[in-house]
Amino acid sequence: MAHRDPRRLSRRQFGVLGTQVSGAVVAVLLGIPIIGFLISPLFRQQQAVWRKVGDISGVPDGEPTKFEVTFPQGAWTTAENNLAVYVVKNGDNTRVFSNVCTHMQCPVRWDGSLHQFLCPCHGGLYDINGANVGGPPPKPLPQYVHRIEGTTLFVENRFTEEI
Amino acid sequence: MGRRLRAAYDWFDERTAIRSLLRKGLYEAVPVRGAWFYTLGSATLVLILLQLITGIFLTLLFVPSVTEAWQSLNYLKEHDAFGSIVRGIHLWSAYILLFVIGLHMVRTFFSGSYKRPRELNWVTGVGLFVLVLGMAITGAFLPWDQAAYWTAVVVTNIPAYTPFIGSFIRALWRGADTVGPITLSRTFGIHVWLLPAILFPLIGAHLALLRKHGEFGSYINYRGAYRSREGVDVPPAPAQRPIEPPYPAAPSDELWAAPLETEDFYPHQTVKDGIISAALVVVVFVLAVVIGAPLEAIADPATTNYTPVPEWFFLPLDELLVLVPQQLIPLVLVLPTGGVLLLLALPFIDRGPERNPFERPAVMVPGAFAVLFVVILTLLGSGRLFNL
Repeated sequence: MAHRDPRRLSRRQFGVLGTQVSGAVVAVLLGIPIIGFLISPLFRQQQAVWRKVGDISGVPDGEPTKFEVTFPQGAWTTAENNLAVYVVKNGDNTRVFSNVCTHMQCPVRWDGSLHQFLCPCHGGLYDINGANVGGPPPKPLPQYVHRIEGTTLFVENRFTEEI
Repeated sequence: MGRRLRAAYDWFDERTAIRSLLRKGLYEAVPVRGAWFYTLGSATLVLILLQLITGIFLTLLFVPSVTEAWQSLNYLKEHDAFGSIVRGIHLWSAYILLFVIGLHMVRTFFSGSYKRPRELNWVTGVGLFVLVLGMAITGAFLPWDQAAYWTAVVVTNIPAYTPFIGSFIRALWRGADTVGPITLSRTFGIHVWLLPAILFPLIGAHLALLRKHGEFGSYINYRGAYRSREGVDVPPAPAQRPIEPPYPAAPSDELWAAPLETEDFYPHQTVKDGIISAALVVVVFVLAVVIGAPLEAIADPATTNYTPVPEWFFLPLDELLVLVPQQLIPLVLVLPTGGVLLLLALPFIDRGPERNPFERPAVMVPGAFAVLFVVILTLLGSGRLFNL
């Protein structure tokens, strides 16, 4: 019988360790690209796009007016989405609201008889300034980053504050 | 059987042991009483298999893309009567599956069947229930009509209220900040591959555990067993053939409960299973042909006159979204998560040997209140959305 050095791996210990290390190598080599693939959208910057909304000279003071604007849907899709924006004029001040509710992102609409923005899903209410005044919405109605050239309104596919 | 055929069968059996596999599979002893209640489990399985089969065939046409998904289903609706029935069966058997799996769970809850040694039968069952709900919710995204689109928007937005990492989870599911092409691709992949890849092995585990421990029916089923424990002399269950003891075998065991009378799984249980499952499939088929699967107008993010209405199984959560005030929105995540955790913990909380539902008020009363809470939320939600 050969003397066994306790510092050396036995045949069995080598087998156990080798099996575990092989499994770990496979798991890591598969796991890294898969997890990277899954979380890559979190680190992708959305491409900034400016779009013309239209001529807003006809928008009456103090009455939200709906326009539609077309933005890319993102990723590989070339087809674009129509989105609703509400233009609210108050003297010289023009605000451009999205109709995305800050509660669950349902499509908010201006209700002239209530004189409020109403969310059809869970009853969120916003006043004409976009302030969340009733129901579950936790934040004011989001506003688009915009600029006005003459009487033509342009918006960027980005809100002034994240929702 | 002809001699050649028998020889071929012997040849096959020598290589696969098919004979003993079949014998084990078909001639399991099952309790005589309560047998109709057990059909809920097999009906759940049949409805899930119906989902699998119709789902596989729907992928032969459906295109999971924001520009094509609605178009492909609209083509199905306009030009393919049989394909429309397949889609109708997929939808209606999903609806009925949610009912039946719920009843199956309630039955198990009532009869205390989750008690030792069947804790993991229950735990795998809760897992299957959650996965089936996941299938229902992800499936609702796919047609990309108005209903599907706004369901996708709201459902993927709910995890955004997770503290700290909420918007990351939302972006992980959506594949972007907003619902778009990657949302549909991911949800399709989750619906047809990811969840089924977990669901079907878990069904295997659930059935293997069922066979290991045997059926456990209602309290009534085991009255005799109780009496014998209390000293009245009732003979223990006469198994019709020698079987490995599937029940806690020794009458001295505190949890001992064996059926008074058993019979073979095949054909005595399978005929009852068959009748119930076939009746459900007939109902599904009629609904699929008569009502079919609806397809609303194509998704329109710019709408300001469409009122999103959730799927009926989503109504309790939707009503919570209405009722929970803005400071407490994360409750909408906490309540369902807590509910599932409580369900998972149930067999480890209610551990006593008592199986009679009327002697277990500590679980029956909270259970009844939980069911009542969900029912009331559903009624409130339907009242609000459909002006009932």
